[in-house]
Amino acid sequence: MTVTEPAAPAAEAARRVVLEAAGVTMRFGGLTAVDDVSMQVREGEIVGLIGPNGAGKTTFFNCLTGMYIPTEGRVTLGGETLPPKPLKVVRAGMARTFQNIRLFANMTSLENVMVGRYCRTSSMALTSILRGPKFRREEAATRERAQELLDYVGLADSAEILARNLPYGDQRRLEIARALATDPQILLLDEPTAGMNPKETEETMHLIFKIRDSGMAVVVIEHDMRFIFNLCDRVLCLVRGTVLIEGSPGEVQSDHRVIEAYIGGDDDEEEDA
Amino acid sequence: MTSLEKTAGEAPVSRHDRMRSRFGSRAAVLAVAGGALLVLSGLLSWSYDDRVLGDLSIRFYPAGIQIYAMVIGVVGVVLGLLLLRRPPWLDPGRGLRALGYGSVAFVVAALVSIAYQAGGLINVNEGGWVGLLGALLILGAALLCPPEHLDVHSWPRLAGWQEISIIVVLLAVLLFTTAYTLNIDDAATFGCLLVVILTVAIALLGSGFGGYVGFIGQNNRRPLLLAAFLVAFLFPFTQDGSDANMSIATQILIFAATALGLNIVVGLAGLLDLGYIAFLGTGAYVGAMLSQSAFATVGWKPPFVVVMLLGMLVASIFGLIIGTPTLRVSGDYLAIVTLGFGEIFRLAMFNLDGNNGPDLTNGPNGIPAIPDLTFFGFDFGATHTVAGIPLGRFSNYYFLLLLLIAFVILVFTRLNDSRIGRGWVAIREDERAAEAMGVNVFGLKLLAFAVGASLAGLAGTIKAHQDTSVTPDQYIFLESAFLLAAVVLGGMGTVAGVLVGATILKLLPEKARVVNDYRLLIFGLLLVIMMRFRPEGIVPSKRRQLEFHEDDEDLVELAQTEHLEAK
Amino acid sequence: MEFAQQLVNGLTLGSLYALIAVGYTVVYGIIQLINFAHGEIFMIGAFGALSTWLVFFNGNTSVWVLPIMIIGAIASSVIVAVLMERVAYRPLRSAPRLAPLITAIGISVFLQELVRLGYNNPLLFLSTWNPFDFPSAKQKVPFPQIDVVTGAAFNVGGVVIQRSTIFTIGALIICAAGLFYFVSRTRTGRAMQAVSQDPDTARLMGINVDRIIIVAFVIGATLAAVAGVAQGLQITNINFKMGFLAGLKAFTAAVLGGIGNVWGAVLGGLTLGLVESMAVQFIPGTFGGSPWKDVWAFAILILVLVFRPQGLLGAKVVDRA
Repeated sequence: MTVTEPAAPAAEAARRVVLEAAGVTMRFGGLTAVDDVSMQVREGEIVGLIGPNGAGKTTFFNCLTGMYIPTEGRVTLGGETLPPKPLKVVRAGMARTFQNIRLFANMTSLENVMVGRYCRTSSMALTSILRGPKFRREEAATRERAQELLDYVGLADSAEILARNLPYGDQRRLEIARALATDPQILLLDEPTAGMNPKETEETMHLIFKIRDSGMAVVVIEHDMRFIFNLCDRVLCLVRGTVLIEGSPGEVQSDHRVIEAYIGGDDDEEEDA
Repeated sequence: MTSLEKTAGEAPVSRHDRMRSRFGSRAAVLAVAGGALLVLSGLLSWSYDDRVLGDLSIRFYPAGIQIYAMVIGVVGVVLGLLLLRRPPWLDPGRGLRALGYGSVAFVVAALVSIAYQAGGLINVNEGGWVGLLGALLILGAALLCPPEHLDVHSWPRLAGWQEISIIVVLLAVLLFTTAYTLNIDDAATFGCLLVVILTVAIALLGSGFGGYVGFIGQNNRRPLLLAAFLVAFLFPFTQDGSDANMSIATQILIFAATALGLNIVVGLAGLLDLGYIAFLGTGAYVGAMLSQSAFATVGWKPPFVVVMLLGMLVASIFGLIIGTPTLRVSGDYLAIVTLGFGEIFRLAMFNLDGNNGPDLTNGPNGIPAIPDLTFFGFDFGATHTVAGIPLGRFSNYYFLLLLLIAFVILVFTRLNDSRIGRGWVAIREDERAAEAMGVNVFGLKLLAFAVGASLAGLAGTIKAHQDTSVTPDQYIFLESAFLLAAVVLGGMGTVAGVLVGATILKLLPEKARVVNDYRLLIFGLLLVIMMRFRPEGIVPSKRRQLEFHEDDEDLVELAQTEHLEAK
Repeated sequence: MEFAQQLVNGLTLGSLYALIAVGYTVVYGIIQLINFAHGEIFMIGAFGALSTWLVFFNGNTSVWVLPIMIIGAIASSVIVAVLMERVAYRPLRSAPRLAPLITAIGISVFLQELVRLGYNNPLLFLSTWNPFDFPSAKQKVPFPQIDVVTGAAFNVGGVVIQRSTIFTIGALIICAAGLFYFVSRTRTGRAMQAVSQDPDTARLMGINVDRIIIVAFVIGATLAAVAGVAQGLQITNINFKMGFLAGLKAFTAAVLGGIGNVWGAVLGGLTLGLVESMAVQFIPGTFGGSPWKDVWAFAILILVLVFRPQGLLGAKVVDRA
């Protein structure tokens, strides 16, 4: 295994499988977008998902996040089949970011992250109106945790800035902070460095390492090959809906089929989701 | 960041500086002169005819219009003097512009009224012309003033008691003005006074005092709230036992309480409800059916506290039913669905008279003769004398409604500032992202409907007793549109906005007969104009304002600074 | 026999709904705007026809008067609709969706009040000037009964068919044929189809989208005006409130048929009319009969919006205009 950063590869088998996709197939009418794809993601592991346009990455990703229910096969999170609602998926411990940033633009950074705490807090209408000690404690804890997460991703000083006014790279990091606020076991990042300059990309990479090292599982979809090969412990290459190769970055990088798929196999089928 | 901005902003400011040195002092002189002339005009006679607009014919004994002219004059003098030594957070020029146009409008309106009522401009005395000259001078001064950049960071911090006294003085002025305005019966004078009040208010707010007062308010939220309720509480004592204005006031309060409930649905959760009046109707019908009225269709007569709770309960159940479609529909379609429910409610109340379905509502005749409330021997129908001032039937209801609206405001603000409020904002901003972040979108939408509906239902139970009768034609679609207009006009998502909107919409038609005939026409036009030019309302919530003006960068910056200041 | 009679009644009512519903659907198909004030355009059409008659032919009920009345109706509806688009809706094209809907409510109330207060008093409070001696529109106003529709009703095997019924259904057939020709055979009609499918591409292809939007409003107003005349002839009187309920039901019809789809609007209108007539006749017990018919119409509206918002013909029909 050639890993650029020490990822504690020692006892892989001992680490718990967080997310498992087994034989996932997704058909839309006659079109098979994803065909019998299996994948395992363990604690403290970064798995990359690559593939040319139209390879079914986003469809597969949507199957993982519970947006689509696979036609065949199943996705389990910590041994449980994913519930079909996004809301319950988050509660079960999966958080995601979006390819095109979807922050709450007119809320401050802190408020954005506090929204992420929603599913881990419980004050309802009556408690909010009565403002008892429990409510105060929970609000304070939410605020504190949100500030902690902002510190964690390096946005400590931007807490009171409206999300729309943040620089692009900070918006991406805020999205990660917001996702982390839901206390996930696994974090799914959809093109986390799209549109970033090299310095921001570098910073994002270190942030993802930090998250991985805290024991969380991470899945990354990315077009930036250098980024993926530097970042991931394992890479899955999808072509035409099937797994072309799965292995360490080194193995995937040197496989001639991957290069062919990217250079020669530029299909005209467009993927949108 | 401020120091950076200042250095960057230096270059263009220098041109303003030159303009200011050339025109500033001249403008100040003009403004002070104009203001002084207006004050003087108040001491002079405006008309030969002593029957017009009150009596304006006596010199050195100002009345009505003359006093208003003097008020404008004083404001003009103050703004003019401020031009000479401008604090960085004020722009007297902006204020003068509003004051200029407003005062010209006011004097012209007064002169036209005199000419119209007394028969020709010949009846205008020297005071009117002096006033017109003064108003024109102020307008001229305003046009000479270059626009200034307001520096919101330099608001002076005063001692706590000083800030509180500012609030108290302002609210006292508000109370006095309201009481004074309401006691004017002459339509023309009332119109002129409204122009003056609006002019002075816009002039002061526009010149930068508004931001500062808001800042003080932010610093002293609790005293402000207390003082505001104290002022509202004292209002009946200014009416000297007369029920005429109190009747209007109670209508405003019920309307405002319902509109605040609607604002939870529209302003906070971002769902458009076009059938909201049905919830008020539900409460009113529950109140009426369980009342002591001989026409009540239900035999059970529980105490009023139980009725209130039942009204809330039934209304919130309806709210949940009407909210259920939000699972599948949103936006325009949801609005039409709610409209449909509202109409079904009205039609059902109209039909359930025993011939078509069971007899619950007496059909189009409704339930009349609902007796006044009595709480622990306190009869809401009787006149009580407190400190020598008689308080009539409507004053009694007014106090009860004041409690109601305090409760509604409490619910509104506390929900807004909580986990639930944040969830609502997130849903408004990006529903799918909110759901993907674990926000229970459907649950929160239902909650908004249920809470809003229960507040309206509560108001309805009181309304039934206050109106003494409940009929289906009080709950037509137009009333829902009216409620929505109060929210839109005042400001989505704010309490103050809705109070202002409700007051304007209910007060104007009552006070001016002309307006009353044309109130719906004006109201329709107002909705169109507001959506076109100021969709966020008179007193907008900062966030809502941003949502309606996605591309306005200045606004974004301003909102950002104000947000920082408020912390 | 009962059934056949209700069939005729339902088709008449349905034709009226269909004529109005087309207006909702063409505008929605192009800019996804629910022109909530469209019912008032229908009302304006009726008053336009009445005004034309009062000004030019007061007392004359000859057949040849009717076409000119229809032209008057169309002219007034079209002018109001185009003004409405220009002044109120166009500035809001990129605004949040709440804004145009609230604007529409404002326009709706404004137009109703304008007719109520201003029909016999066009300068409102400024003067009592009333050059053509129009009646007050604060109550129902009698609508001229042209010779086409007066006279005994036809009786076909026990089923009574009013002459106005024939006019209404005939109007729908002629309008639908005209619309079909316009949408599929003319350049503007094809441009409309293009804009409804992809406004941005259509713009790039050199289609003047603003003009197409106006055309959509004009088509809607024209058909609504015809419906206004038909309504006047049928009910024999008109009033300023007639647009509200008719508009809502026509909107229901448009959604029922699949909003954005012209033929859906026609189909939806006829279906709704039939359902309403049959419901009045055949729903038993105290919840039946005409007092509850509007309730059933609203119930259908809600059910369709919630459970089949794409309508009977669905959203996937290509022939949208």
